[in-house]
Amino acid sequence: MGCMTFYIFNRKGRCQYYHEWQRLKPIKQGAGSQDEDFKLMFGLCWSMRALATAVDPKNPSKQQMGAPMRIGDGCSFNSIKTSNFKLHYLESPSGLKFVLTTDPTVGSMVEQLQYIYASLFVELVAKNPLYTPGDAFLFEPFSAALNKYMRTLGLLS
Amino acid sequence: MGKSRQCAESCVDYLALELVHHYRTQLQGPSLQAALDAVGERAGRQLAERCARDRAPLLEQLEAVKFICKEFWGEVFRKAVDNLRTNHRGTFVLRDTQFRWLVRLSQNQMPAQLGQPLPAPAAKADLAADFLLLPCALVRGALAQLGWDAAVTADAASLPQVDFTVVMRQQVQR
Repeated sequence: MGCMTFYIFNRKGRCQYYHEWQRLKPIKQGAGSQDEDFKLMFGLCWSMRALATAVDPKNPSKQQMGAPMRIGDGCSFNSIKTSNFKLHYLESPSGLKFVLTTDPTVGSMVEQLQYIYASLFVELVAKNPLYTPGDAFLFEPFSAALNKYMRTLGLLS
Repeated sequence: MGKSRQCAESCVDYLALELVHHYRTQLQGPSLQAALDAVGERAGRQLAERCARDRAPLLEQLEAVKFICKEFWGEVFRKAVDNLRTNHRGTFVLRDTQFRWLVRLSQNQMPAQLGQPLPAPAAKADLAADFLLLPCALVRGALAQLGWDAAVTADAASLPQVDFTVVMRQQVQR
């Protein structure tokens, strides 16, 4: 089993979708509650992005905090690797943040996250007539498609 | 004749969704049904006019319905109708097994607040009812433009399959 958890945050920091495949350390021992876990995860991504933009030695333009940017523009980190897990991150131009934690041995998942955004999220969630943008959601077709995709990637047995 | 202008299918999808949401939530002005009927009929008339531009006139009822099933459906819903049944007395049932506008409809299982009970599962037909008003009006408008006054209803009991029932009333004098 390679993939562990998956979050989708909207621009305001609200967790719209959360799925866990394998979470050996229960939330109670970590963040304390599901809410706290979401807040910490969002805070981590936000701070990393801000730090990366601040120490970036290459891009001269100054990005405004909170303004949406094209994927690849400005400075956004792709992944954080620790001894126990690897966190992959993608921010869409609309400010949606896709966070996937996996085994540390997994390679780059930038394209895979792009696929999840473009072909799974947009097709099955954004175009669903019953989806309200910004709200938490749980759509059976999206969950099923996500699991299937993880299986084809070999991260889910 | 200039190059035909095209627009991405996503635009049509999103516009159709937003029409429903907009008329649902606005407090004054026409009701959802009235607004979508008006918009759909007008658009249906113009679309049918465009589709049927270079064809011979369709004089038979069945010919008009077959035109709707093939050319009109192809232009508007990007595929042809899969099954057509009739009772030869003015009632037609058009069955589309993968209705593209509603193929992604699915109920949100998430409760409004964490900890609250899950929302009761709703029949897909009820959820889809509002979103079928516009397609029905489009078909009605198209038939009207071809000279036939008809009543169109849709049944989405087994999504993504949608059955459109067309009941012809009488031929309109042009």
